[in-house]
Amino acid sequence: MEASAPGADERDESVVSLVGVTKRFEGVVALNTVSVDLHPGEVLVLLGENGAGKSTLVNLLIGALRPDEGTIRIRGRAVLHQDPAAARRQGINAVLQDFSLAPSLSIADNLFLGREPHRLGLRDRARIHAEARRALDLLGMTIDVETPVAFLGRAEQQMVEIVKALCGRPGVLILDEPTATLTEEETHRLFAIVARLKSEHWAILYITHRLEEVRRVGDRVMVLRDGRCIAAYRVGEVSEDQLIADMVGRPLSVLYPPKAAARSTRALLKAESLTTRDGRVADVSLEVREGEIVGIAGLVRAGCSEVARACFGLIEVEKGTVEIGGTRVLKPDPRTMLRLGMVYLPQDRRGEALALSRSIEENVALEALASPRLSPFGIVRHALVHRDVTAIVERLDVRPRNIHLPVVRLSGGNQQKVVLGRALTRPRLVYLFDEPTAGVDVGARQAIYRHMHELCAAGAGVLFVSSDLEEVVHLAARVYVMHEGRVQAELAGEEIDAATVIRHSFGLDSAPGPTQGHVTGGASGAAS
Amino acid sequence: MPQAESQTRSPGLYLDFLRGIFVKVGALPFLLVVLVVLFSAANKYFLGMQNLVDMLHEGVFTALAALGQLFVLISGGFDLSIGANIALTSITSATVMSSMYSAYPHDPALAIAAGVIAVLIVGILVGLVNGIGVAYLEVNPFIVTLATASAFQGVTLLISQGQEVGGLPDAFVHGVGSGNWLGIPVAALIALPLILALYVLLSRARYGRYIFAIGSSPGAARVAGIRVPVQILLTYIICGLAAAIAGFLLTARVSAGEPLLGTEYTLTSITAAVIGGASLRGGEGSVGGTLLGVVFVIFLSNGMDLMGLSANHEMIALGAALIFAVVIDRQRARAVAAGFRKRLAVDSVRDPEDSGPGAAHP
Repeated sequence: MEASAPGADERDESVVSLVGVTKRFEGVVALNTVSVDLHPGEVLVLLGENGAGKSTLVNLLIGALRPDEGTIRIRGRAVLHQDPAAARRQGINAVLQDFSLAPSLSIADNLFLGREPHRLGLRDRARIHAEARRALDLLGMTIDVETPVAFLGRAEQQMVEIVKALCGRPGVLILDEPTATLTEEETHRLFAIVARLKSEHWAILYITHRLEEVRRVGDRVMVLRDGRCIAAYRVGEVSEDQLIADMVGRPLSVLYPPKAAARSTRALLKAESLTTRDGRVADVSLEVREGEIVGIAGLVRAGCSEVARACFGLIEVEKGTVEIGGTRVLKPDPRTMLRLGMVYLPQDRRGEALALSRSIEENVALEALASPRLSPFGIVRHALVHRDVTAIVERLDVRPRNIHLPVVRLSGGNQQKVVLGRALTRPRLVYLFDEPTAGVDVGARQAIYRHMHELCAAGAGVLFVSSDLEEVVHLAARVYVMHEGRVQAELAGEEIDAATVIRHSFGLDSAPGPTQGHVTGGASGAAS
Repeated sequence: MPQAESQTRSPGLYLDFLRGIFVKVGALPFLLVVLVVLFSAANKYFLGMQNLVDMLHEGVFTALAALGQLFVLISGGFDLSIGANIALTSITSATVMSSMYSAYPHDPALAIAAGVIAVLIVGILVGLVNGIGVAYLEVNPFIVTLATASAFQGVTLLISQGQEVGGLPDAFVHGVGSGNWLGIPVAALIALPLILALYVLLSRARYGRYIFAIGSSPGAARVAGIRVPVQILLTYIICGLAAAIAGFLLTARVSAGEPLLGTEYTLTSITAAVIGGASLRGGEGSVGGTLLGVVFVIFLSNGMDLMGLSANHEMIALGAALIFAVVIDRQRARAVAAGFRKRLAVDSVRDPEDSGPGAAHP
């Protein structure tokens, strides 16, 4: 097989196919007799929750894993011993979530790493430079190819990663949640590239958990749940509701509790013209009232998380005040805010939420230990801590129950419950959740929503930041939509729907569009 | 603290039990058995009473230095200035004591008390310098303590002009240095309450929980409302004090202030702590494990002494032991990770609702 590009005669055949593939990890089935065909000139969207088996499938395709049962066929030929290098030689190019770039090398060097053009035994710098420039231009990237990758933002690194994949032998492109860190403009450009590759007969596997992207890029869609292929459709022949039901295995109404609206006008948390020193948050005013769940929505880099982090004192505040329970704070810091009744549940579980190598008990009790009840004169009352933590672990149904287990051993959902457990060690006025359900399975997600609801029922206020539009729409009684560090709109009640939230997040606050279904049109209009 | 590893032990598999010990405390128990067998076969005095007491006396200095190092390691740091600290303390305290003693020759207690104060001041100052560099200036602890080690060494040589400082009170040299009570060296009796205090601080006090959390994830500690820089500063002060006290006791042992005293303790303290289960990645370690690590280091050097091998050979062996300890540390991290994967699989099968990564049901 030396053909550089799949010709027109191959169009009806699949470039790559998985036939009845099963993959087990230590006896647990991650992928169960799944079959996939990738056809040239077509985009297959693979849709599924976290832990559905999407990554396993990708790893099988790129040769990082080998199937326990079933076969992988590339251009009709069964492949027995696949490895990543061979897969790449055969035209299977992937952009994974974990980047494969060497940070200290330049963009150009990264693009040609391991296959540098040579001249007289030396690297042909001029050619590397020129070809890298041409490759970047194709994606509309104007950045200097000599820039070290470490200097790039995550979105730019992602683009370089895509360019790198496109430099390989043409055939198949696998994109694993590529838009997670991209801005709308970059996303728009990515979709244009996908469309062009399609016309050049590339076969594209597009992995996502975002429903709206199915319609934007997909030709076919396949839903994966618990390692099984639940359903496959042609895009346009299936409703979003059906896809949701396939993905979560239950209707949405079961997943989300009824909305928690304010019980009084008393504001528990009030931020006034909050501006951070790094400029990511500018002049933001918001409030969270008693018994209310409030959402913050917006695009990546709109400053959503930063608002919560600034309120808690993790980002330096330049101007404005944060008021909690009637106490006004000029320069918030985590200690003060915790004392005043605010708790922040970070998005970055590894970096900020958990001491992974330490036990469940230590993690849950870490903050509460400061209280004289648990550690009079600085000496920990172990029995009391043990009892408190056990009660919380049972209430949250953390599994396994052994509280002396290091949290690194827990699944994502259970780790998130441990984070929540720390917040529950004592009653608070305001809970700030930063992406509470990222990387969390459906069961834990439902539990987290239920607990948010219970906290509000007890009179607390909840502010959550989420990039999951569906979550924002179904969970929040009020929504602040952010755009470029500012609050673009405040929505309440019936105003909260996906189309409106998206429109505001692009900075459009004019009259609503003609129909609510035309999210896509509005989005591309905003970006171009 | 009951550990989870023992619960998943497959029945009837003795190997799994041994692996459990390995994961929990490392290879140390196995190595100690090997050393004892080897050295007592080579020399019948190795396990003799007199040699055991000698080893206890030697072990006191190493134990204090290693426990200080342990606190720093747990918080995710590193202290390369322990040896220089010991020398600085030795010279400073000896200088203070000898001048006090010559001024008030009839009151040796006064001289010793002044020496103790000098020790505490030096220990706290050393800890402050290191701690401020690491916690507030946010310089890599390796660089900070490498630099301060050089600076402390320079101060020591400036004060002493490279000369020994003698003329110490008899009560100090013969009481603290070589005295014993009921056969137990006085130095060990002085160190014992300090070691106990460190144990309580690490295992029973809130502070211990804090530095474990900081070593494991500084960001998480900050979000939990812990004042991370203050706690890190405290670990360096504790380490500085522990090493300074070791230097003081060592000065009594050699009966003079010496400008090159204790340089080997930087290496032995790290070796003992790491081989005793402290992780160079921070967030792990224990007083008990470290004391076992001290026993290992002492056995090794004393046993080689008895075999007639020189101090030069010991240096080679200790260097090798440190590399070995780090390799073992990494192996243990892998063993823990392997146990993690196994356990996750077991849990997922057991709890169908708990769908962790790849938790589909067969």
